[in-house]
Amino acid sequence: MNSAPALAVEALTTEFRIEGRWHAAVRDVSFAVTRNETLALVGESGCGKSITALSIMGLVPKANGRIKSGRVVLDGRDLVGLPEAQMEKVRGGAIAMIFQEPMTSLNPVLPVGFQIQETLRYHTSLAPAQARARALELLSHVKIPSAARRFGDYPHQFSGGMRQRVMIAMALACNPRILLADEPTTALDVTIQAQVLALLAELKSEYGMAMLFITHNLGVVASIADRVAVMYAGDIIEMASVDALFARPTHPYTEALLSSIPRVDRHAGDLKPIAGQVPPITSMPQGCRYADRCPLRVAQCATMPPLVALADDATHRARCWVRAGGAALQ
Amino acid sequence: MATFGGALVALVAISALLAPWLSPHDPLEQNVLLRLAAPTAEFPLGNDSFGRDVLSRILWGGRVSLYVSTSAVLIAIVIGGALGILAGYIGGLFDRVVMGAMDVLLSFPTLVMGLLVVAMLGPTVGNLILAITLTAVAPFARIARAPTLTIKERDFVEAGRALGFSNLRIMVVHILPNVIDDVLVMAALWLATAIRTEASLSFIGLGVRPPTATWGGMIREGFENILDSPWLAIFPSIAILIVMLGLNMVGDGLRDTSDPRLRHE
Repeated sequence: MNSAPALAVEALTTEFRIEGRWHAAVRDVSFAVTRNETLALVGESGCGKSITALSIMGLVPKANGRIKSGRVVLDGRDLVGLPEAQMEKVRGGAIAMIFQEPMTSLNPVLPVGFQIQETLRYHTSLAPAQARARALELLSHVKIPSAARRFGDYPHQFSGGMRQRVMIAMALACNPRILLADEPTTALDVTIQAQVLALLAELKSEYGMAMLFITHNLGVVASIADRVAVMYAGDIIEMASVDALFARPTHPYTEALLSSIPRVDRHAGDLKPIAGQVPPITSMPQGCRYADRCPLRVAQCATMPPLVALADDATHRARCWVRAGGAALQ
Repeated sequence: MATFGGALVALVAISALLAPWLSPHDPLEQNVLLRLAAPTAEFPLGNDSFGRDVLSRILWGGRVSLYVSTSAVLIAIVIGGALGILAGYIGGLFDRVVMGAMDVLLSFPTLVMGLLVVAMLGPTVGNLILAITLTAVAPFARIARAPTLTIKERDFVEAGRALGFSNLRIMVVHILPNVIDDVLVMAALWLATAIRTEASLSFIGLGVRPPTATWGGMIREGFENILDSPWLAIFPSIAILIVMLGLNMVGDGLRDTSDPRLRHE
């Protein structure tokens, strides 16, 4: 069994200062990803999924943000508090990240080939000619047609899907062990989305990477993830294998999320939007943060429920007094 | 237009560079018999009050003018550009201090700064360059800082950080190429200003000391005899006019090509 996680996030809390007070955008988040595994981090905008990724990369804006506590363990080494110079070697080396906006994530005034080479030359000691050869190899690896001819082209000569492939090539340049993908397909057409997802899945197993896939799209989750962590207002509220999550959504929020996806085989009138709104970061309730919108609320929800395993499935955990059986313990 | 301007600038630059081979006479050789002589076949642009050949002096004078102005602008680009990118990228207190200092420099009119430096330190080529550099640094810092402020927020900078690039690398490899267009347009226009400033300082007697030929100095000398021998002032003025015209055309052309919205008008 290859059980040692490639990346473990332990009790991570990231805060932002708003009008002089610190508010947690990510609270006590823990998860681990192993090689060859894809963990999807799901939630709506502002739930803390991107902040989690930035915390792992050590890219939380220093001016008004900080990692208050917790560890990010990569191969036994805690990345939190690592000096910037060492962190620069980790980024783009052992951990790589791809972003939502392929249209703007490449420098418009530099040829794409140069941009891939730059990553290689920065992180490895390859000679220019070797770096060029490797960059070309990467470009054809991410299935850019006639890669050699397009090597000197500029980003504006590429379509969105192609640019995302270039971004993926840059991320893969130094054989990362962890790939953080922050909504990499959100800005793409559906057909291109499917191609990019297939490419990512293929490369993940080829490189034996662990992938943390951040998305709000449950359809994408179903097609790419092995396990899913659902985030709500800075907390992980449910974590399960992808099959278990879709078969038996346990937290009321997950359940509501699944029934608010439009489906071809259901009447549009069956769509159920979730009533109410996410509480603002400046006035988070003490207890369960979903309580105000939750149809199952009980008195106990005024205190924060723990993330506990379900009685019949140790890998399926949820943060709910009513559904996860935590209520019975008290 | 830009090509024509470039040709004008190239013409002057090449003739200045090749002055030792192109000039028909020694620019310092005096000939009392030819004092204030009108243009002839042997001395096509006439002779000045010392009987020196005006054509040769214009060719040699161009060397001084172009050397002083190009060096000053190049130094200003490097220092001003670096300060502007740093200030824009780092922001905060550093930005305020640097740009505050630039505002102080900007508040000196070019000529006043020139007077100040040359009067205090003496009229040497080095001090002329220093004086012009001091006034040119601030505009280059401003022109480099403005785009840096927007570019540093762009996604590709964030992506670069995620690839582990250091701040220095992001500034040099990713921000600089995005800023350089604006800087080059400014450089062409400032080169013209620098040539004018050098000529102005020489004209009021604060330039390179005579008998070394400079365009501004020749105009001043020619002024003394402007009624009898107007060509003494006119020919060096035409030389300045050609360079400034050419540089402005190049600057406009560069701006048009670097701004795709203007390209098809």
